[in-house]
Amino acid sequence: MQKCPIPEEIMMKIDHPERYIGNEINSVVKDKDKVDIRFAMCFPDVYEIGMSHLGIQILYDMFNKFEDTWCERVYSPWVDLHKIMKEEHISLFTLESKDPVKEMDFLGITLQYEMCYTNILQILDLSDIPLLSKDRTWDDPIVIGGGPCTYNPEPIADFFDIFYIGEGETMYRMLLDLYKESRKNGDSRKEFLHKAAKLSGMYVPQFYEPVYNDDFTLKEFKPLESDVPVKITKELVTDMDKTYYPDKPVVPFMKVTQDRVVLEIMRGCIRGCRFCQAGQIYRPVRERSAEYLKEKAVKMLKNTGHEEISLSSLSSSDYSQIEELVNFLVEDCTKKKINIALPSLRIDQFSVDVMSKVQDIRKSSLTFAPEAGSQRMRNVINKGLTEEQILNGAALAFKGGWTKVKLYFMLGLPFETEKDIEGIALLANEIAKTFYDTVPKEERVNGKVQITVSTSFFVPKPFTPFQWARMDKREDFIDKAEHTKHYIASQLNQKVIKYNWHEADVSMMEGVLARGDRRLSRVILNAYNKGCIFDAWGEYYHHDVWMQCFEEENIDPFFYTTRERAEDELFPWDFIDCGVTKAHLLREWHNAQNEKVTDNCKARCSGCGALKFDCGICVNR
Amino acid sequence: MKVRIKFTKTGILKYIGHLDLMRYFQKALRRTDIDVMYSKGFSPHMIMSFAQPLGVGVESLGEYFDLEIADTEDVSLIKDKLNVTMAEGITIEAVCVLPEKSENAMASVKAADYYIDFYDKKPDFTLLNETYLNSSELFYEKETKSGKKEINVKEFTFDFKIEESGLFIRTDASSGGNLKPGAFLEALFKKANLDLNEYKYHVMRQDLYTLNENNEFVSLGLIYA
Repeated sequence: MQKCPIPEEIMMKIDHPERYIGNEINSVVKDKDKVDIRFAMCFPDVYEIGMSHLGIQILYDMFNKFEDTWCERVYSPWVDLHKIMKEEHISLFTLESKDPVKEMDFLGITLQYEMCYTNILQILDLSDIPLLSKDRTWDDPIVIGGGPCTYNPEPIADFFDIFYIGEGETMYRMLLDLYKESRKNGDSRKEFLHKAAKLSGMYVPQFYEPVYNDDFTLKEFKPLESDVPVKITKELVTDMDKTYYPDKPVVPFMKVTQDRVVLEIMRGCIRGCRFCQAGQIYRPVRERSAEYLKEKAVKMLKNTGHEEISLSSLSSSDYSQIEELVNFLVEDCTKKKINIALPSLRIDQFSVDVMSKVQDIRKSSLTFAPEAGSQRMRNVINKGLTEEQILNGAALAFKGGWTKVKLYFMLGLPFETEKDIEGIALLANEIAKTFYDTVPKEERVNGKVQITVSTSFFVPKPFTPFQWARMDKREDFIDKAEHTKHYIASQLNQKVIKYNWHEADVSMMEGVLARGDRRLSRVILNAYNKGCIFDAWGEYYHHDVWMQCFEEENIDPFFYTTRERAEDELFPWDFIDCGVTKAHLLREWHNAQNEKVTDNCKARCSGCGALKFDCGICVNR
Repeated sequence: MKVRIKFTKTGILKYIGHLDLMRYFQKALRRTDIDVMYSKGFSPHMIMSFAQPLGVGVESLGEYFDLEIADTEDVSLIKDKLNVTMAEGITIEAVCVLPEKSENAMASVKAADYYIDFYDKKPDFTLLNETYLNSSELFYEKETKSGKKEINVKEFTFDFKIEESGLFIRTDASSGGNLKPGAFLEALFKKANLDLNEYKYHVMRQDLYTLNENNEFVSLGLIYA
């Protein structure tokens, strides 16, 4: 029978009680007496965001294929329920068994964005698990972090027992076996963690210590035990066809953000845009075969009943069998009345042809991400996209019947000048002009074109060539957004161009946390204790509270953002080896300064270092 | 051809709202090989019509939706085909073919039976019974877009009984006059000078009814069976 740890009268007064009921189609229920390991997998945000994440779907499937393991899900209770759970002392529970998270052997938390850090503490707090790793005992689960933010885990190092660096498919089996053995032998928690620290990809923060210079830059980052590795190399899947991928993903009752079958066609990106962390840390590019993907698509659609399928990758047009795969899907899905979503597809003849078959042209819009307004700036960021390509793509789209175009740019990129900002407006205007040049007056459906320009503020990330860059201040950002607005308003076609920009305060805090060090654990803890949660949700972000926490902990937030970093500075994340070397990143930082474009992996190897993994595009060119 | 599908919605699934329930059935049907008919146009959707939506928090033993399927389908297999892919709490109870010119589920609903179980503290049932019988008017204050509106729930109640540890009511469930059990209780308790907030209760919808040619209530599942 289905339990519900939250009393009915509470369920009836909170928002979306269906977030907390589990019981979905394809969720896995096992007999807890017949498994050795119980693993709670958590995405520290609300259900509808967390359920849309592919990584957890893959690992959920993998863990539950292990006969000795039961993997269940946990998401952040929304602010309304959070408050009630604190007041009524209701312990956080997993969605499958509704058992307390505290009873689990592992609590895995995926770290997809920096602004979820206070939500990690919310999860631990509501689960009655001590917030600091050093205070935990065998009465608590092993708290393990994964995902892109583990490429600089230092700001949250105090909260985790282990960080798993890299892709989850490879090492969990060994970690679970080690855990079972340790528990059988009666090892202490510390003994187990010590053994775990020797497994590939595992970073156990308590066995490492940062030593600071007087100016708080890092002097040394040293292991505290002689037998734990000095450098931790990321884990990765080498053959994407011989690994875990679900046939039966969980089908939520409520409408989640990603309410569709997601087909991950490849990992990594050949492009090497200099602002992009994903483009570096997932190297080398590894594809799944079209045959594998076709079979998965058919099975997943059949087993979920979803009415839409989406391709997932960093740059789908670079997938070598894209035409074969998409043509198969169009044919198969049209018969079954299933929609196809094709994000991150470059606008060319092929994609325009395909999209006109699968989308309602009148309603949908086409997206371009030039990221920078001028060609000079696009060279700085290594975005291999020329104005000619953008305008040709737009012309193709307009001929195909589209009238709505979305453009994405960043403000505050390194070496940005006023001309680059003006370039955003000029490019938007050129696209509008292209519409009027391409589509004769009598064929214009609604009379005009609609262009939406969105700018976000650039946040330098670890393991990118821009990890040395200084980040703009809030005032610079707002100033630049105002300028962009002004330039757009001075264009001939300004009436058809809509402009919106992101919030600057959250970007600043993201910048602090992204390149932060271990000292920030104190600030995050303080912020949580002062009530900060759901910082990623604009309306719940309290900039003044965060600033107060920095002041109380005597830490200058601008140390992490606006400071120039020396080329030989030791970074808090340098103990991680993601394949791409620091020497390569520095080379790329210099290339950016010289406005020099670097070839993509398909055209020519740039010697980034990922070759040592001996797989993917590095060996199958 | 058009079929009417009767199902239950019980247990924890009572927290699923109506729109989610519709999407749930669309996905469930796509997991089967049942040949469902779609509307024409660029974004085709399954041709289906649900009866009176069930409120969040209310369980039901008698829910219905009508579905257009290919004439080639074997109707006797539909119940089993769906039941193998249902979540715990939703069970297909019956499937019957509708005549060519039948009213759809939504339009034909006229009444609903509810059983309200006070599972914790019991209210004074004798007092409630007397209050119901002796009052010609029981007012409930409904909040609408244009402000508050007084509704006499007695006009929309067809039957009222004390049964074991709870109340049985048959209320209007037509699209124009649907009376929610919560509204009925509020009006009744107020009149009896009882505070509804002091009592915990479960609501179970037992069945939905339409009217036959003699103006008698007939279960939505039996009218064409």
